[in-house]
Amino acid sequence: MSARQMKLGLFLWATGHHIAAWRHPNAHVRAGIDIDHYIKLARTAEAAKFDMVFCEDAAGLREANVNIASQTSRSIGFEPISLLSALAAQTERIGLVSTASTSYNEPYGLARMFGSLDNLSGGRAGWNLVTSASPIEAANFGATGLRPHADRYARAREFATVITGLWNRRAAGHDGESFSVRDPLDIPPSPQGAPVMVQAGASDDGKDLAARTADVVFSAAQTFEEAKAFYDDLKRRLAAYGRDPDDVKIMPGVAPIVAATKAEAQAKYDALQELIPDDVGVALLSSYLSISDLGRYPIDGPLPELPESEGMKSRQALVIEQARRDGLSIRELARYFAGARGHWRIVGTAEQIADELQARFEGGAADGFNVMPSWLPGELDAFATLVVPELQRRGLFRKDYQGRTLREHLGLKRPV
Amino acid sequence: MGRTMHLAVSLNLAAATRQTGLTFAEIAGFVRKVEAAGIDMIVISDSLTSGEPSTSPFEATTLIAALATVTDRIGLVASPSTLAHQPYNLARRFASLDIISHGRIGWNATLRQNPLEAANFSRPEGFSDDDFRRRAAEYIGIVQGLWQGWDADALLFDKASGRFHDPDKMHFLDHKGEFFSVRGPLNIARSPQDTPVLVMSGLARADLDFAASVADVIAIEEPSPEGARATYDDLKKRAITAGRTLDALKALTTVFAPDLTAARLEAWLGTENCDGLIFALPADLSAINGFTDRIMPELRRRNFARSAYAGTTLRDHLGLGTGGAK
Repeated sequence: MSARQMKLGLFLWATGHHIAAWRHPNAHVRAGIDIDHYIKLARTAEAAKFDMVFCEDAAGLREANVNIASQTSRSIGFEPISLLSALAAQTERIGLVSTASTSYNEPYGLARMFGSLDNLSGGRAGWNLVTSASPIEAANFGATGLRPHADRYARAREFATVITGLWNRRAAGHDGESFSVRDPLDIPPSPQGAPVMVQAGASDDGKDLAARTADVVFSAAQTFEEAKAFYDDLKRRLAAYGRDPDDVKIMPGVAPIVAATKAEAQAKYDALQELIPDDVGVALLSSYLSISDLGRYPIDGPLPELPESEGMKSRQALVIEQARRDGLSIRELARYFAGARGHWRIVGTAEQIADELQARFEGGAADGFNVMPSWLPGELDAFATLVVPELQRRGLFRKDYQGRTLREHLGLKRPV
Repeated sequence: MGRTMHLAVSLNLAAATRQTGLTFAEIAGFVRKVEAAGIDMIVISDSLTSGEPSTSPFEATTLIAALATVTDRIGLVASPSTLAHQPYNLARRFASLDIISHGRIGWNATLRQNPLEAANFSRPEGFSDDDFRRRAAEYIGIVQGLWQGWDADALLFDKASGRFHDPDKMHFLDHKGEFFSVRGPLNIARSPQDTPVLVMSGLARADLDFAASVADVIAIEEPSPEGARATYDDLKKRAITAGRTLDALKALTTVFAPDLTAARLEAWLGTENCDGLIFALPADLSAINGFTDRIMPELRRRNFARSAYAGTTLRDHLGLGTGGAK
């Protein structure tokens, strides 16, 4: 098959990405304490020939308000590096990508962890670099407050330089602003040479760091135009670092809800939306906007003017633009946002979903997609049995793996 | 029926002498053999304290995650240092491993400094022995505290009412100490065995009071059976002084299996006042076979070895109650 084909990731999230997923009658409510659940999900994705499974991460609670937290399933779950190491022994081909923070790790330690995961899996590991924007996490690591955005990125740049140097066996010895490392890495390289580098930061600093160091970029975009603008911007930045457009695969998140008919899919979506308590939806929205008290504004009124925060700058802009564009109230935006957390939602039949994915893929707005099932395991099963065969029929997605490593699946060069 | 002897195997992957690294399948084979022999736990290290580089292709915590999925009963213990991870990250990793393995995990906290590590973890100046010790004690307290952040019955899973967990059964640690401040709690449920097992090793004399007050298992590293016996008595006295019951702390003596002649084995097994033995083996098939084919029959002959696992968790195997200094 010589035609360009899309890449697919499965973005794992215990009971599913929808904030109320755990309340769905068929969702696996004990997902966060059941390793067999994750083994089944990974094997489903592998049987559907996905490029990778992906775990995001936070080293701490996700909600400051303990009452709100207790109405979501997000306060407990597996630590992702141990989770993916377990999955490495229970899968054969699928890539295993985990998030880890440059703020709360040391490059030598993380190089060992991911190097080990890469060896355990025969060359299927990837690392998603994050700088960690949450003050809740900061409080678990002795910090008195969140570091400013620019400082976090300076540390992240140095971290990326050191860790790739260790993985690629460049001259040892680093003595820098944030880190010092004396020796070469004592974990040997895997068959793919080094773990795949992934990033998701969409701020100017984030895109620049991705252009320098990432092999894969996860993004969030609601409309074709947003996705295309992000795609073109990032690919354009590559030349400055002597890289080709093909060296980085851009994979926006997509939260599909698929059924045999459009009406049936819409009914599935509406039923999930009904399960979101208002206080939970508003709290989740507040958290992504990095403001603590959205709850004090009238819930049926518009989003207030908001100052720029030290947290997720780019994500904030996306959400605000969405609200203004559609004239949404806080409640409406909260519910809409809670469903897919600012990512692109498609509700429809397998053909309709394939049409939408194909349009962005062929229109130069995506190299593939990070699939975010609304609830698990049901919406993954639906995507794997309905949408993947439709993509395969159109020649847009592989019918079988050609290689064994994640770099081979993604068509990435070996690192030098 | 002989008295209960707790039997463990310790494997140091860093010291493998082969040029080509061990594969996961080979290591899984070793561990399954040891599991078939009914051993309480296997302790895995991936680095050397001699200052030489490791030859292991795997880091121990990631390795035991994978091993947990291909074994059923044996306890799995990894030995990452207090320099290589932040305490929150280490506590969380082990809590996660404990759920993956259905309650078979332990952390071997060594109080022996690895001279390689500080220089590779942005602490080129290293730590004085005294600072290292105070820091390790604070660190271990944080880890044990974080492991108790969620009550065992905190998760409600109540879809109808929309209450996933009971917020009153989730506890902040709010630790502020000399070296660390950690708010907590972990974002992971309580362990199926209450808390992972805390093994301590590499102890100097100055560490004994602390270790006897918090450890579930202590590895006694003495060259002679007589020295081991004296240390055992000493540790148990200190544990009692710290207000613990005799059964709450298991003191196991480490012996180096390749050096064992029949007479030396006899001397170690004849040691009274010992909760059991840790056999330190090189990570190769002949050493594993030597252990299962030569040493295990001697232990069985004396009724020191169990015929089958009675429980499912590592705490069950070790006859330990719930974990952590309260």
